[in-house]
Amino acid sequence: MSMSQTTEPTNDGATVTEEAKITTDEKEKAAEEVLKEAEEEEEEEEYVVEKVLNRRVVKGRVEYLLKWKGFSNEDNTWEPEENLDCPDLIAEYLQKQKSAHEGKRKAAGDSEGDESKSKKKKDDNEKLRGFARGLEPERIIGATDSTGELMFLMKWKHSDEADLVPAKEANVKCPQVVISFYEERLTWHSYPPEEEKKDEKN
Amino acid sequence: MLVINPFVSKCELNSSDTAANMPTNNVVDQRISKFKNKGKDLAKLREKRISECVELRKAQKNENFLKRRNITLSSLPDEEALSPENDTVGLQKLLSKGRDPPLKEIIDAGLLSPFVSFLAMDDESTLQFEAAWALTNIASGTSWHTQQVVEHGAVPAFINLLASPVLHISEQAVWALGNIAGDGAAYRDILIECNVIPALLARICPDTPVGYVRNLTWTLSNLCRNKNPCPPLSAVQQMLPALIQLLHLSDKDILSDACWAISYLSDGSNDRIDVVVKTGIVPRLVQLMNSKELSIVVTVQTPALRSIGNIVSGSNLHTQMAIDAGALNVLPNLLRHPKPTVQKEAAWALSNIAAGPCKQIQQLITCGLLPPLVEVLRNGDFKTQKEAVWAVTNFTSGGTVEQVVKLVQSGALEAIINLLQVKDAKVILVLLEAVNNIFMKLGETEKLCLLIEELGGLERLEVLQNHPNEMVYQSAHDLIQKYFNDVLLWVHHLLWSVLVLVSGGFFGPHAASNGPAQI
Repeated sequence: MSMSQTTEPTNDGATVTEEAKITTDEKEKAAEEVLKEAEEEEEEEEYVVEKVLNRRVVKGRVEYLLKWKGFSNEDNTWEPEENLDCPDLIAEYLQKQKSAHEGKRKAAGDSEGDESKSKKKKDDNEKLRGFARGLEPERIIGATDSTGELMFLMKWKHSDEADLVPAKEANVKCPQVVISFYEERLTWHSYPPEEEKKDEKN
Repeated sequence: MLVINPFVSKCELNSSDTAANMPTNNVVDQRISKFKNKGKDLAKLREKRISECVELRKAQKNENFLKRRNITLSSLPDEEALSPENDTVGLQKLLSKGRDPPLKEIIDAGLLSPFVSFLAMDDESTLQFEAAWALTNIASGTSWHTQQVVEHGAVPAFINLLASPVLHISEQAVWALGNIAGDGAAYRDILIECNVIPALLARICPDTPVGYVRNLTWTLSNLCRNKNPCPPLSAVQQMLPALIQLLHLSDKDILSDACWAISYLSDGSNDRIDVVVKTGIVPRLVQLMNSKELSIVVTVQTPALRSIGNIVSGSNLHTQMAIDAGALNVLPNLLRHPKPTVQKEAAWALSNIAAGPCKQIQQLITCGLLPPLVEVLRNGDFKTQKEAVWAVTNFTSGGTVEQVVKLVQSGALEAIINLLQVKDAKVILVLLEAVNNIFMKLGETEKLCLLIEELGGLERLEVLQNHPNEMVYQSAHDLIQKYFNDVLLWVHHLLWSVLVLVSGGFFGPHAASNGPAQI
């Protein structure tokens, strides 16, 4: 109870003191400002950085090119990193550099006719015979030269339709198949008896 | 006598006509707004697509009705008494002959409707086949031709034909649908909405002949093709597993078209790339890029390289997947490939990898990519050099000091200085950015200045101060101001002026006229 009593008068006292203080503070501040302005006019100590424009490394020291608020671009200066107190502006600059550097460039879309055709016309290749059918040779099942040229009857993989192909073409396109055909049909002949007599003499 | 070309007034903006008729802009704009999809908003387009699908289904219903009622061609009111088979076969030969089959005449003679109705005649397989072939070739023409085929109701008919037990007929339907899909995004999406993809995928089995699979792969690739918009994601998800399977076959045509499909799917935003790489296909793509693999040909290499190029234009994660799959071991060969377009695409891919974090740049160095890069900068054709320049600039931007030193030591600085004489202003700006980056990373040592001067760089920069392009001369000027200290510059100018004097003006007048004013 005594405390509450004491606070009141001290409060009043404090308020009075505070008010007094405030007044003094205000005065001091005003004085400081005047001084500051005077200083600024004479020595130009405090400037405000508007923007960070560039970065460089000189003799191992990092420097930033600064645009000053209230000044033109002609007055831009390089300042050492340590002297600066604008971390936000520096970060903004570095961030811009980073995203410029993350410069992935998507496909230009000018593929210059290398691309696959978008539409295809089907040509009338006499209904596609022989190798033109694009099938894989399985085996040769016969041969004929009734057309004037040696032809093989070709059985294709995945198809029941066999057809004739020129031997010349088959020899190049599927030589192993041709060889198999010939090998399957090799017949061995025995030599005539005369030679046996020769051996007996010797 | 003035004859008005009836086809100009009938069909909007047929591409072959525009060269002959050059109307004013207003008329052109009007025409363009009438042409298919241009100038219409997306909602309207979608409506139109859906209504078209409904129309197509209606048309199909009608045809089935006619079929059930056994109505033959000769009883149709519009037709003369044709013998359908003879005429189609004759027209068949007409259509596939040479480069200019009389498509317009055939269309104008009203033959599309009967052709489409033949497609439904399962009992007349020769007729079906000939009609399918004829319509395929008409659809292979211009957009207008394809439009005619679609508007006569061919789409549902062809999709039904996919299930035909007669293989070559089913195959013809695959081909025709490929032509329709290849027309553009609009028809592609209509086909997708008509459920073409499951019908196509159902035809792939181990026994399917290779020719059929080739056609099918090509048609699938057209369903992956085109942007604005890209194919619907759900369709992509349906097609990807099949494409992956196809990529493990060995037929070159199949591989080529399957790779093209992947290249289309990976050409887009990073989430599209994500869908592709998640299939695990990247190692196979790298394999297909590699010319050292015995039977790989450039028709397979090209789209495989394009796919990888698209993938490394994605996120750093996507790029790392390509690197981990061994792409960097193949790139040097591709940078030295005899085909300039392959070199160009390889350089483009390299430039995107160099735009990544320094860890990836280090991998570029480790895998020996600097020497081929410098070779390309020196000797490549101009389009390739452009890409290589981007590679250098990206490298200098993201690389560490040591990495940039390696780059300079490899001869890249000399090469880019030589390129400063090109005419292309955009390229010069990228080059100047690279030079700037090198200064920023290495510090403005006198050593660097002297090196550049020795390589003839200072001269070139001075010349560029007179470049007609404002940004170029400004950049060049800034570079000189920033980095080339006055003493060096003064000495250089002095020597240059002396040279000019002594040689009687043999050396160009430009430097002399700039003179000591800089100081």
